Amino acid sequence: MLAFWKKLKATLFRRQAERELEEDVRCHLDMLIEENIQNGMDPEEARYAARRSFGGVEQVKETYRDKRGFRWLDSLLQDIRFGIRMLRRNPVFTVAAILTLGVGIGGNTTIFTVIRAVLLKQLVYSEPDRLVYLSTDNARRNRQDSPFTLTRLEEMRASSRSFTGIGAFLSSAEDVTLSGTGEPEALKGSRISANFLDILGVQPLFGRSFLPGEDTPGGAPVAMISTALWNRRFGADPLVIGKTVTLDSMPHTIIGVLPPDFQFPFAGVDIWVTRPSEWSRLPPRYWRTVTLLKGFARLKPDVSLEQAQAEMVVLNNRYLAAHPDFGAVPGVTMRVARLKDRLVQNVRPMLLTLFGAVGFVLLIACANVASLILARATSRSREFAVRAALGAGRGRLIRQSLAESLVLAAAGGALGVLLANWGLHVITGMNALDSPTRVGALSVPGAEQIKLDGLVFGFTVALSMATGILFGLFPSLRISRPDLVNVLRESGAAAGRGSSGRRGVLRVSGRSLLVIGQVALSIILLIGAMLLIESLTRLHSVNPGFQTANLLTAKLALPPNRYDTDQKRAAFFEEVVTRTKAVPGVGSATVAMSLPTTPWIRTDVKVKEQPPADPNEVPTVQLQSVTPRYFHTLGIPLRRGREFNEHDNTPTAPPVVIINERFARRFWPSYPRQGPIGQHISNGADKSAAWLEIVGVVSDVHEGGLAADAGPEFYVPIAKHTPQTAYLAAHRRRSARLGRRYSQPGASDRSRSTHL
Amino acid sequence: MSKGQSKAEILQGTLDLMVLKTLQTMGPQHGFGLAKRMEQISTGILDLNQGTLYPALLRLEQRGWIKSRYGASENNRKAKFYEITKAGVKQIQSEQQNWEQTVGLMERFLRLAE
Repeated sequence: MLAFWKKLKATLFRRQAERELEEDVRCHLDMLIEENIQNGMDPEEARYAARRSFGGVEQVKETYRDKRGFRWLDSLLQDIRFGIRMLRRNPVFTVAAILTLGVGIGGNTTIFTVIRAVLLKQLVYSEPDRLVYLSTDNARRNRQDSPFTLTRLEEMRASSRSFTGIGAFLSSAEDVTLSGTGEPEALKGSRISANFLDILGVQPLFGRSFLPGEDTPGGAPVAMISTALWNRRFGADPLVIGKTVTLDSMPHTIIGVLPPDFQFPFAGVDIWVTRPSEWSRLPPRYWRTVTLLKGFARLKPDVSLEQAQAEMVVLNNRYLAAHPDFGAVPGVTMRVARLKDRLVQNVRPMLLTLFGAVGFVLLIACANVASLILARATSRSREFAVRAALGAGRGRLIRQSLAESLVLAAAGGALGVLLANWGLHVITGMNALDSPTRVGALSVPGAEQIKLDGLVFGFTVALSMATGILFGLFPSLRISRPDLVNVLRESGAAAGRGSSGRRGVLRVSGRSLLVIGQVALSIILLIGAMLLIESLTRLHSVNPGFQTANLLTAKLALPPNRYDTDQKRAAFFEEVVTRTKAVPGVGSATVAMSLPTTPWIRTDVKVKEQPPADPNEVPTVQLQSVTPRYFHTLGIPLRRGREFNEHDNTPTAPPVVIINERFARRFWPSYPRQGPIGQHISNGADKSAAWLEIVGVVSDVHEGGLAADAGPEFYVPIAKHTPQTAYLAAHRRRSARLGRRYSQPGASDRSRSTHL
Repeated sequence: MSKGQSKAEILQGTLDLMVLKTLQTMGPQHGFGLAKRMEQISTGILDLNQGTLYPALLRLEQRGWIKSRYGASENNRKAKFYEITKAGVKQIQSEQQNWEQTVGLMERFLRLAE
């Protein structure tokens, strides 16, 4: 071991070792000469005698050098030094090769880093294998991973014996407006059970978690915040605990700060509040019976996943039997999956595909550089022939050319790390841009952990070396067998052209192999890219169903204690619309429970005149509540009948409904020849309501984003379904310029203050 | 290089022990002093090319049996002084045993042959 380090040191610091040897020998000779002179020899004779008794100086030195260091390492270093010199002499070739390799290695490093952070890393929670994820499936309606009701959660908690604890969260993130200290700010919020940290096995960074009492109706309004928000907005002040902030116009006390990398249940959440089912978009009477929640739980140590699944089957049957009114949706089953699997379910195929793609890119880069090297080898064949003629063995020649490849690969790897660093910034940036309301549950987990570290660096180094050998070996095998006679016989002027004849044919076949591989890989990538572009153009050509131009929106959040009845809320919305319309430049204005791409509600419907063949078959459609000018403001064309009028939008007016064309086609196959106008449907979310009369049909809107299909949907006046938070949309006249305040997230606060 | 190795190896073994033992009895020495001392002890029997000491010293140092540092010679010349280490002393003991065994064995055989 000691010998190894000494040898390594002597090899790496060769010059110093050489100087020491030189000094030692000279010192010894000088001493000998001195002694000889003292013994009476004349200087010339003394020097001669000294040399004789020392022995052959150069011979001794050479033996010494052999033992001093690692010969192979020494010559490898020499090869590398020589390689760098050669590469410097060909800057164009070198830069081209390094750029090509840098892109290939950089892409692989980037995707590997993401895969490692997302797929390979363990969850940060304690004993992650015991954590499960709960949701419902409905094979009959082809729906997977759907939410369940608060009632079901309570029953599971009461009867289940498989878990140490069951928690739930509101299945979509909320956009929450934070105000009270400084500028109002729109944040991503999550509603979650009070026991969430106990189940996950996570401690708050500061303060405490929710108390059970805070998770019951009427519990104290408290919130936990992310470390990111704590740093950004509160200057990492520990005294933030106990501070009161306003969330969507409700004062909340901050009780705790979550650890930096905490990303549950969604990435990028900044505010956690409890009482998961109290979705502000829904009137409180629906909170127990609408499917809003997804669950998570920790298996007891002696319970397997299969046992828990079996228990859930029993509980599910009991639940369906016990609640024929809202629970008995035929075909519903409980899904119990490992949380880890569930977290990456959406991104796994995408990441693996990307990994494959960048792998191909790297292979193409290797092939490119290999053919560059081959092309250059032709012009260097004379150099290699001369070396071989001087006695360089084949291994020596291969090593020489491999050393050059490795130098190239190392430079490419260094560039790749830089590119990867930049690429990761882009990727994490994209993740942050992800709209807060459009994330499916747990969309991109672990995004904060995506960073370069030692292991990734090791991956890059290994990848670079493998790359270097891959693209370097083939050319070096070829050039290491020069046809001495032919090459050397050619005159110096012609030497650059390389050899001819039989060997020329061989070289072509070798290169064709490279080219064939390259073209094949490129075509695979090209097809993949074309498919992506095709999907993107299709997405762009989808008509969203409404006019986005000149449309300004703002979120409205009403303080629940002040606006505690449907009447008060409806009156407020009407007031907002009236005042907004009065602003110069505004063409029309509307308030709606949700806007396209914000979360929506689905509910059961029945059609009075078209009873379903199977009484168990209750279709669910999207529910939307709007003020009268909604369709006009958003530019949604009316196909049949009429829009809502002011009279419809009063609590006492006869209930009316407007449906979209998808809805109409589904129940009236003869639409549009025979219209559904004047017929009646029931709104499953509102048991108190009588039959609603259809007064109009509008064209379809892609509520779930362009990639999602436009489903059947119905609209009721907002006075009949008045949420706590809603959206204001105003259409600007083309020439008009509105103040910025209407497009700001803080607009909700402004609206509130005008009213108060 | 590879051809002469086996012969050099035998020589080296004895040379190593001689160097170590000399350093042990004399204390720190520079190369020249060491060579002179060894010639004195061997009283001319050993015809040592003094240069061959240096590869041997390098080997011993790599093994950790001796260590070196720069110092001033009697004539105030800067020279490398070699010194035996604890590991070197231990090595002498085991080498000495080996050597004595070999010598004893050889003696018995030679007496038998008489």
